[in-house]
Amino acid sequence: MNLTIDVTNKENLAYLSLSGEVDAFTAPKLKEALLPLTKEEGQTVEVDLQDVNYMDSTGLGVFISALKSTKEHNSEMRLVHLQERVYRLFKITGLTEIITIDSAVRGEK
Amino acid sequence: MDFQSCVNIKKEWDIVGARQLGRDIARKIGFGTVDQARIATAISELARNIYLYAGTGKICFETIEEMEQKGIMILALDNGPGIKELSLVMEDGYSTSGGLGAGLPGVKRLMDEFDIHSEEGKGTEIKVIKWLR
Amino acid sequence: MSTLKLELENYKELLQEYIRTKDEQALYQAEQFSKQSMQHNISPEEIINVHIQSLEEIYPDMPDYIQASMSFLLETMISYGLAYQEYQSLRERQLELKSEISVAANMQKTLLSTVKPELDELDIGALSVPAKQMNGDYHHFVYDGDGALGIAVADVIGKGVPAALCMSMIKYSMDSFPEMRMDPSVILGSLNRVVERNVDSSMFITMFYGMYDTKDHTFSFSSAGHEPGFYYHKDKDEFEEIDVPGLVLGVSAETTYKQKQLKVEQGDMVILLTDGVTECRQGDRFIEQEEILHVIKSYAHLPSQEIVEQVYKHFERLQDFQLRDDFTLIILRRNV
Repeated sequence: MNLTIDVTNKENLAYLSLSGEVDAFTAPKLKEALLPLTKEEGQTVEVDLQDVNYMDSTGLGVFISALKSTKEHNSEMRLVHLQERVYRLFKITGLTEIITIDSAVRGEK
Repeated sequence: MDFQSCVNIKKEWDIVGARQLGRDIARKIGFGTVDQARIATAISELARNIYLYAGTGKICFETIEEMEQKGIMILALDNGPGIKELSLVMEDGYSTSGGLGAGLPGVKRLMDEFDIHSEEGKGTEIKVIKWLR
Repeated sequence: MSTLKLELENYKELLQEYIRTKDEQALYQAEQFSKQSMQHNISPEEIINVHIQSLEEIYPDMPDYIQASMSFLLETMISYGLAYQEYQSLRERQLELKSEISVAANMQKTLLSTVKPELDELDIGALSVPAKQMNGDYHHFVYDGDGALGIAVADVIGKGVPAALCMSMIKYSMDSFPEMRMDPSVILGSLNRVVERNVDSSMFITMFYGMYDTKDHTFSFSSAGHEPGFYYHKDKDEFEEIDVPGLVLGVSAETTYKQKQLKVEQGDMVILLTDGVTECRQGDRFIEQEEILHVIKSYAHLPSQEIVEQVYKHFERLQDFQLRDDFTLIILRRNV
């Protein structure tokens, strides 16, 4: 499986749409796309995970470093449209408490 | 050091010139077909490195005649950006161009002696020798 | 040189024979010759050279254009020869690395080894199998000799060497804790600070820490973002998820951990695991939680150690004997 990343930039909003699987093989690609965006001050990075059907702990690691980077650079990150299985992972690891996750619009399985 | 002959490397075509001259010298020294081909390939690699990474430079040749042995010495000189991490480029499997070049480890294998000096921002000097057996 | 000469003679004869007979026998010997050449690190251009020399000897008046075409072929083979030599040297290095890793894996085994305590009150089963040589899962038992059994189950992000290095760090910090009984929430809190200080920002560890008191049969536990465990009620033949919220270790230094306690009845089981168990996949299909519990239930009549081993075998078979993730499963059952 692969991961495709689409980035759209609108003023202070970077919108990343992911599709595929985030695992040890694809995580470096995500990190490369995501991290630089969090380094711009005042930027809001929105990550759409609607089409991500699988994520492992390496993927979580990428979001954790992105979160740390937003704190350093005064930017923001939020995740939207998480599938049930992916959301569970964020929930178990306690990350839902520290990462902004728009669970109200969580996508269907 | 006084060299018999040098070829300036400015364009890709010059690589062929360097190979030709090197092969002629190797033949005169008495190298066989296989070694001639190896020497030519080493010259290609050295010249291509100059062409790709330094832009310009030169390849010089010298016949070595000592008491017990004869050989060819090739010197590749350029004033390019130099090589930052020598140990890395000398490692097998490392190739910056991503191509199929044999790279410097290949040159080392093709020849008998290999020496490299490189300074960042100043250039690179590679000296290789092949002995006639 | 003499061996090469000998081979030249040999090659020439073989070639001559083949040209004469077109016989499969000669071709088979050519195959042998090529294998021998590889063993002696003879590169392709040298074989071509031997071929040219043989031809020259067999046909002294070989036409010029054949001669030239042969030299041309020789030249094209030089790069293949180099690539082959590079491959050989990379292969040697790979072997070296492999043996280094296996030494490291053994060191890790020794370092992280834990002794499953034998207690009258508890029947304990524990199994941890790495997906690769180095294990990123970790479990540890500490028995204070006076009724308190501490159990840690942890999973480091990723697998292989980096995960194993990180695990060793955890083990060292746990060893440095005082021997006295400590609350799971306190243990996780201090480990969190160690991990937060010492690992890369994208690295984290999940850990479940439980404390079983064999005197009053209570089980206190805290979790740092770890996969929830299960409690098995023998009388109802039902499972209940045991979970307590908590952030993974290494993300935020200020995190504190909650702690819960449950009373364990006779014959009941506490099941702890890592996500290598819940993330088992069969092809593209995920294995659902119910299925894991179902398998555990079907072996529930066996001693704990046999249950964990049977469950492992079951999922190993489902995944075609190729573990995708490290697998750790621990079962504690109250005996008396």
